[in-house]
Amino acid sequence: MHFPELFLADRPPGAPTTPAFIREACIAIKRNRVHWLAHRKTQELIELIAFAAERWREPGNRYRHRALDLGPTETGFGRTTLEAGLDAFFAGLTVEALTSWVTQDLGEIRRLDEFCAPMGEMRHGRLALARGPELVVHIAAGTLPNPTLLSMVASLLVKSAQLVKCSSRSSLLPRLFAHSLAELEPKVGGCLEVADWPGGSNDLEAAAFAEAECVTVHGSDETVKSVRSRLPGSVRLLAYGHQLSFGVVGAEMLSSYSARKAAEKAAHDVTAWNQLGCLSPHVFYVEDSGAVSPEAFGELLAEALAAGEAKDPRGPLPPESAAQIAGSRSLYEVREARSRVAHEEAVTAPRGVFFPAPDHVTRVWSSPGSTAWTVVYEADPHFRISCLNRFVYVKSCRNLKDALHHADSVRGRVSTVGLAMTEGRSAEAAPHLAAWGVTRICPIGRMQTPPPAWRHDGRPALGDLVRWTDLET
Amino acid sequence: MNTPFNAYIGHLSSWMNRWLAPSGARSGAAGLESEFNRLALELFNLQCVHNPVYRDLCRARGVSPGSLDSWRDLPAVPAAAFKELPVTCLAANEVTTTFCSSGTTGQSPSRHFHSPFSLMAYEASFLPWFRRQALENWNNSTESIISDASKPLQWISLIPARAAAPSSSLAYMISTLLERFGGESSSTCGSIGGGGEWEVDARRLIDALDQAMVSDRPVMILGTAFNLVHLFDRLTEAGRRFQLPAGSRVMETGGYKGRSRTLIPAELADGIRSLLGIPFDGILTEYGMSELSSQAYARWPHPAGPGELAFPGWARPLVISPETGVEAAEGETGLLRIVDLANVASVLCLQTEDLVVRRKSGFQLLGRRPAAEARGCSLTSA
Repeated sequence: MHFPELFLADRPPGAPTTPAFIREACIAIKRNRVHWLAHRKTQELIELIAFAAERWREPGNRYRHRALDLGPTETGFGRTTLEAGLDAFFAGLTVEALTSWVTQDLGEIRRLDEFCAPMGEMRHGRLALARGPELVVHIAAGTLPNPTLLSMVASLLVKSAQLVKCSSRSSLLPRLFAHSLAELEPKVGGCLEVADWPGGSNDLEAAAFAEAECVTVHGSDETVKSVRSRLPGSVRLLAYGHQLSFGVVGAEMLSSYSARKAAEKAAHDVTAWNQLGCLSPHVFYVEDSGAVSPEAFGELLAEALAAGEAKDPRGPLPPESAAQIAGSRSLYEVREARSRVAHEEAVTAPRGVFFPAPDHVTRVWSSPGSTAWTVVYEADPHFRISCLNRFVYVKSCRNLKDALHHADSVRGRVSTVGLAMTEGRSAEAAPHLAAWGVTRICPIGRMQTPPPAWRHDGRPALGDLVRWTDLET
Repeated sequence: MNTPFNAYIGHLSSWMNRWLAPSGARSGAAGLESEFNRLALELFNLQCVHNPVYRDLCRARGVSPGSLDSWRDLPAVPAAAFKELPVTCLAANEVTTTFCSSGTTGQSPSRHFHSPFSLMAYEASFLPWFRRQALENWNNSTESIISDASKPLQWISLIPARAAAPSSSLAYMISTLLERFGGESSSTCGSIGGGGEWEVDARRLIDALDQAMVSDRPVMILGTAFNLVHLFDRLTEAGRRFQLPAGSRVMETGGYKGRSRTLIPAELADGIRSLLGIPFDGILTEYGMSELSSQAYARWPHPAGPGELAFPGWARPLVISPETGVEAAEGETGLLRIVDLANVASVLCLQTEDLVVRRKSGFQLLGRRPAAEARGCSLTSA
């Protein structure tokens, strides 16, 4: 199967990219936008995106095939992981979901098409029109495709031309998605550009930034800082820095039946995208007053991860990542050995100051003969940042307040808190989590599949892209 | 000294002597091999009893004294465990010296406890292997430099003296080397700055280098990579460049650890050549850890960096696949594990965090593993 060379990233590796190329490409897609995109009705664009998403989920779809065939090599995700992640993502892009996203962020579905207003505003004699940027430049992160794909969808909804800059070797999925849109609507494809160049090519980025009205960046704090420092003053920046997530399992979900179900859902959140996303849990806090103890929950989670590995193998890792897991595991194995012995010996042999007995119980469960999954249970409640790739901590807490207290070291960097609790308790917990700074709360098992309309890092994605013209009558 | 290790130390030193003997005089190489195994198991049995951390780990693994057949199967203690647990066979009142790792910022240092008998084993390990690598065998492996054997080396250490840095295993080793091999003229140009940081004393350094030039004696410079950057800076500030006598050499060790700007090996070699006049084949890289008692060395086959690192016979490297936990094949990347028979009072089998490539007769370092991989939303991994 051969794809036409539509985008800069379609060219063979090593093809030269110069600032002049980038500038011309930006000018071309901006021009195309004026003719082909700026006057399209939002409803048509929603239907186009939803149709493309539906096609992606068809087993015979050629873009899907290509993504699943080349994905494991190019993205590092196993085929099943990729398939599950992409299916969940595209399943969310329905006409209904996209319509409610526009309405949620902009108040009215026609806001981008004409001056209009929802009832409340109209009563005060006000109408408004929202306009997306002429050109959005996306600086994509190298890991998960979803954030980039969703940024592309958002920019298309607000009728912007867009240049997607991928890190080297991670352009596959944005490219395929762009191709799938271009195939359905070549004129829409003409308002898209996908390029990849190595990080730090500041001259290329400068050429893109000079043409942009808005830049989105997903990545580390350093990446965000670097982009921010290089932007012309007039360009708006939507920055999505690295965030992390965790889960809390309530005591009422720790009967032997519910605990197993909760562990299976928790395992799903760890398995999805190999735990590499900002929405992936590093830690599950488990309340210590349930019928199933936090330690026993760790064991259930390990069983669920083992079952998950059989269905959806994590796939190979580069040695550096495997070494991180091996290193962490071996240290926890030493702690586990110490805590077991201390437990057995109890008080028989006081060890003195030089050789203190361990303060906390540690347990480790791990995939034999591979680094595929690891669960570390620690009675020590302090938050731990995981080395990821399906390495998760289970920690004991008295209650949600206690968990938040011990997660203070990551406060301000937490995106999602997954809850396994009754609806009543979740509703009770939500205001506390909000006050603590959490930007998304969802049931455990759905941490990695937010709806498209979700407010990434607590901000409305479409709302942040547009600029308004108010009309007072 | 009466310790449960006396008999073992006797066996070890006799084995070391036989291994170090010229190959013609060695009695039965096969015997040495099987005795290595026997010694490793003898030490393992002792440590399994006397080192509570190791005992607990072995118990959890279902391994006990007498249950192993091969040194390759010894349970390894991760180097990180030295940061939080006393990995030692010594009782608190037996400890006379504690070596702490310099560590990376924000982490607690690892501690390696020593007593007189374990320091004796440390010296018995590093002295002969350094002598072989940096002195006796020096000219065997180079063709371009033939030093004049009649002229003794002038020794210059960039590392603080043992007395100034009592918790540094490296300072201990270098001071001992200077005492043992350096003679009267050797000079220690390393000092401790006001903030506890290691510095190079420019005045002393330049005096020592001038002295070597006047007496036309080749120089042996010993320092860490960041010491060498400091040396470059001091010489550049002073506007001095040297073309040190043929046979001069540099032993570099231990990385940068954020204490100076980081150079790639080719830049290091370039500085050594342009400021000291020592070509790349005059560089000897040392690989050591405060948690070990033996070191590996490598010469530089080209200016791009060191070649294969080699431990002495009493310390054997294993390259372990991080994915599977089994030994990597030749040419594959894995984590370095070392079985060091001279690590008497702590633990003989140490799992490092260093990624290496397994080579035919040694290993090649790929660098300390990065604190946090770029992949994933990990902020800073624990």
